[in-house]
Amino acid sequence: MRLSPTRRALLTLANVGVIAFLLIPLLPVVMGALQSERALQSDLRALLPRQPTLANFELILTGGAHRGPIFEQVTYLPKSVERFPAAFMNSVAVATSVSLLTLVFASFSAYTAARLRLAWVKALLSLSVAARLVPLIVLMVPLYVLFRRYGLLNSLSGVVIAEIGFLLPYAVLILVPYFAALPGELEDAARIDGCTRFGAFLRIVLPLAAPGLAACATIMFILSWHELLIPLIVVSRPEVMTVPVVLAGLVSDYFVFFTLMMAICLLGLLPTLVLVLVLQKYVVRGLVAGALKG
Amino acid sequence: MHARLRREPTAGALAFVLNLPSGLCLLLILAWPVLYAGWLSLHDVSLRQLRTGELPFAGLANYARLFGDEIFWLTLRNTVVFVGVSVALEVVIALAVALIIDDDRVGLSRVTRVLLLVPWGVPPVVNGLLWAFIFNTQYGYLNRALLVLGLVREPVNWLGHPQLAMGAVIAAYVWRTTPFNILLYHAGLRGIPRDYYEAAEVDGASAWRRLWHITLPLLRPVIAVSLILRTTFGFMVFDEIFAITQGGPGNATWTASWYTYRAAFQPPFNVGLGAASAWVMALILAVAGVAYARVVGRRLEA
Repeated sequence: MRLSPTRRALLTLANVGVIAFLLIPLLPVVMGALQSERALQSDLRALLPRQPTLANFELILTGGAHRGPIFEQVTYLPKSVERFPAAFMNSVAVATSVSLLTLVFASFSAYTAARLRLAWVKALLSLSVAARLVPLIVLMVPLYVLFRRYGLLNSLSGVVIAEIGFLLPYAVLILVPYFAALPGELEDAARIDGCTRFGAFLRIVLPLAAPGLAACATIMFILSWHELLIPLIVVSRPEVMTVPVVLAGLVSDYFVFFTLMMAICLLGLLPTLVLVLVLQKYVVRGLVAGALKG
Repeated sequence: MHARLRREPTAGALAFVLNLPSGLCLLLILAWPVLYAGWLSLHDVSLRQLRTGELPFAGLANYARLFGDEIFWLTLRNTVVFVGVSVALEVVIALAVALIIDDDRVGLSRVTRVLLLVPWGVPPVVNGLLWAFIFNTQYGYLNRALLVLGLVREPVNWLGHPQLAMGAVIAAYVWRTTPFNILLYHAGLRGIPRDYYEAAEVDGASAWRRLWHITLPLLRPVIAVSLILRTTFGFMVFDEIFAITQGGPGNATWTASWYTYRAAFQPPFNVGLGAASAWVMALILAVAGVAYARVVGRRLEA
């Protein structure tokens, strides 16, 4: 197709606008995180930090231990600062468990849905499509009561269980198209050579679907890392909080330290942002597959 | 060989075993709780009852209270506004962006495709906090930028006015969620055979007519899926409301999830009322869910 130089220039200009749309809202986070609260408040028209400093990060990463000159005389520090390092590890544990468990369970179900033509498996798949749209809050009200009864409140396993229940249908929807797209001949050949159906699934189907498995695991990790409502309701003790809950704790006192808040935000968003950029190819395909081809 | 094949379980047995883990999860962590929420909505459940473990039957009292609550109706109205405006923006912006970056010869289009997922990678609660900072009256970057550009003389209190606050929450939400739509539309555009456009060009069709008569009709199934997904997810918005306005000013940004959360998990912890409002929400969304299953189901069979 033809593309006249004027048209191309206009489209490029529009595209620069798109890039600005994608990135500009993140600038205040960086700008805020790199300065002291006093500097932020001293000039209400300044866009760039006058005296860039990493003091906020030092304070957070040491859990409030390393105060440095900027925080020396500060009497009140948000609780989120001392809670952040432990919350980070909790989030890593939760997101990793959720990602692995949903991946295993979902790959079993997705394989049967894509490969074994059974009516009830198909019905189960439509159920997953519907389940994906259950509002989380509708699930959390009864889960709170149930978790309270069975002693799962204030535990990371409670958070993991609730997240698996919520995310599993989506994981199945992401994986089905990957399994369905694989050529059936390889599996048939393996079975003629004496492989059982399950053996062929383990040795042939799973390795071939590796890009799909990577996509699914990454998306599940990210969604678990992002999850606020589940841990907010399940967890109230500081030692089992995840990163989003600690961040949510800033809402009540954020007017005190915007710069510190932005530094914590930056540390909280970095892991998934890096994942998204590094594994972009997989995430993109997985998201498209999970929405359009499930 | 036949003997060997006979020794392995039938496809049905294998499917049963393989579906056991997710089937149990679906049943125990999804289906049962959702039904249990219905049961809770018919009972008197708050902290005192939860402590004793006895939940007295309350009939339709929770629903009566819900439908008699002015804030509930305001919440529904806010939710409709939030969903309507945000879905419209998500679709229009995403379509525009997908069309801009569709042609590889457009400068930086590859860069855009790499950066597309950046907002999606930001945790929703971080997104809320960062926009709360942007919109802050005294120290926020929006007012800084407007002051520097000379567009306003005084800092604007963005989160203090009902309409502005709703606009702020929508802006934050749309920024995070639009990239997902862009991805879908981008994939949809890639699925349209290029010959269609070339044929149309030979016939002398303008770019506008090509968009109207080729692109949009062929993109319709993708747009339909995105509409349903974005409507239901918009309905559930929580993190941005929590972090930016906490429902304020007044009740101006109370939306469906926020209402249920406040009812069930903030004083006076009326879990029964929360369950009732959750069920009403679920019912409204079930309609969208059926539509979604139909659209996706049709694509599966095609």
